[in-house]
Amino acid sequence: MSTTNTLPPAALRPSAVTPRDIARSAAVRRERAAKLKLWIGAACTLLVVLPIALAQVLPLADANAQDLSQRRLAPLVAGHLFGTDQLGRDLLSRVLHGGQVSLTIGLLAVLVSGAIGIILGAAAGFYGKWIDTIVSRLLEAQMSLPLLMMLLLVVALFGPSIPVITFVIAIAQWPEVARLTRSLVLVEREKPYVAAARVLGLHRINILLRHVIPNVFKQASLVVLLLLAQAVLLESALSFLGAGPQRPFATWGRIISDGQDYITTSWWMVTLPGLFIVLLVIGVNLLGDGLRDRSRRKKKEA
Amino acid sequence: MTTYLIKRLGQGLLTVFLTVSTVFILIRLAPGDPAVAYAGPLATTEQLAKVRQQFGLDLPVLEQYWIFLQQLFTGNLGTSYSFQAPALQVVLERMPYTLTLATSAILVAAIVSIPLGVWMAKRTDTGKELGANILTIAGQSMPDFWTGIMLLTAFAVLIPVFPASGFATWGGLVLPTITIAILQVALISRMVRREMASNFAAPYLTVARSRGVSERTLTWRYAMGNSAIPVFTALGTRFAAMLNGVVVVEVVFAWPGVGSLIVRALETRDYPLIQATVLVTALLAVLVQLLIDLAYPLLDPRVRLGKAGSA
Repeated sequence: MSTTNTLPPAALRPSAVTPRDIARSAAVRRERAAKLKLWIGAACTLLVVLPIALAQVLPLADANAQDLSQRRLAPLVAGHLFGTDQLGRDLLSRVLHGGQVSLTIGLLAVLVSGAIGIILGAAAGFYGKWIDTIVSRLLEAQMSLPLLMMLLLVVALFGPSIPVITFVIAIAQWPEVARLTRSLVLVEREKPYVAAARVLGLHRINILLRHVIPNVFKQASLVVLLLLAQAVLLESALSFLGAGPQRPFATWGRIISDGQDYITTSWWMVTLPGLFIVLLVIGVNLLGDGLRDRSRRKKKEA
Repeated sequence: MTTYLIKRLGQGLLTVFLTVSTVFILIRLAPGDPAVAYAGPLATTEQLAKVRQQFGLDLPVLEQYWIFLQQLFTGNLGTSYSFQAPALQVVLERMPYTLTLATSAILVAAIVSIPLGVWMAKRTDTGKELGANILTIAGQSMPDFWTGIMLLTAFAVLIPVFPASGFATWGGLVLPTITIAILQVALISRMVRREMASNFAAPYLTVARSRGVSERTLTWRYAMGNSAIPVFTALGTRFAAMLNGVVVVEVVFAWPGVGSLIVRALETRDYPLIQATVLVTALLAVLVQLLIDLAYPLLDPRVRLGKAGSA
């Protein structure tokens, strides 16, 4: 670092590399691509999440208020921005309230799967031996299970309540976090500071919880956004198949599966809620991808 | 080689056995009574008892499990409550449809995603690659049931080119295949891009290029040769997952496959049918996994099956 300080500022230094060359270099382009992804991602996410968060405040009709005289009104008619469904309920209001359910389930599921994944993955990576064997076998076993079928089975058998669905999605997702954490911890535990901490007499649990996990946490938590996107998709697929949270909760999957019967006459009932899901999931995926690109590059530079 | 095969088969069968047993226990743990689902809500207590007796549901769970194990080894999984036919037979009748759909989807996915991935890898850090990248992210962000309904409306209702549901003609295969392929292309092409890009950046490729090897050979023989195993594994694993029933897409297109069968079996609490479906799909998935592993030596002569590092 000190050597750069002795050089004259870049503008005074003679160089064959013009600012234009720098702007076109791969590193700058990569940085710009990551930034673009982050911006588009943030824009898409906010466009969906803000109205959902404000659903209670916005001047909307009640999501469950039926008005049979107002059945299947097209979008943009008075008072109904997204039109109405087959029972005369305001579609926008239903989509936003459904979004609250979907997002809550998604966030809870990601929290649970993240916690399980980080704890088990870190334990497997740090302690090795039989703990690693058990966790790795569990991961493998889950790979060979028919996933969606098992999820449907559990939901169908234990009832589609929000805790069951959250739990089921978390169980579907923990392997990804666990595998990543395990590989990060495997590298981390060989670093000198771990050996130093042991020489100082720290207990292994303390080293793991207070030093190793905080060091890998940031990298492991990057995957969370991608998992959130998957969780939203999974929840909507489950509720499309009738295994989602039950009435009175409106969920995206069920709004679409209800609208399916009227697709020839009322296109908006399927198209608009679907676009909402797509926008949210693209946004979250782009954010996750952009952040990952960024951290990967930072790591390379370091 | 033979020991390796026996070992892998043993492991696979153990996985299948554990899966089937887990499902058996889960079903029995859950609330809800298949007798009610079978006899209807108006059935009297005597009728319910009779139904339970007929299906052997009045026996202790352990005894039911013992009977189930015996059935497992004789290949007779009991009679489906709702189809009134041997459960295994019902599943096997549906299997060809799921196989057809999965095969055509994976073929389309491979044909599109491999060139697309290579194309993206060659244009790393350009605007075009970024565009393609965002498109693939969009592809993996669309819920498949929604894509299915949209395609259905567009190409079966508004412009009636393809049949809307079922599998009466080969045209019926087109829309479900596209629906599945969109997601698979998005996932696999990103994976191909990553593999190929790391190979393009490898020193051996620079050496080969400096010695005048043509760009085409570099791409398809050198880089692709070294990416073959991960790409093939991804394709195979995806295919195996599809055999477990492309549940959602089968439901949307009323495809007479295993996926829509399991949804119906779960709704009617058809225990034998659920168990037969899980058994057949788990067996097939394990078999496909084994075939993938067996193909490795063909893709890369350095791989020796059963030796350390590859097993």
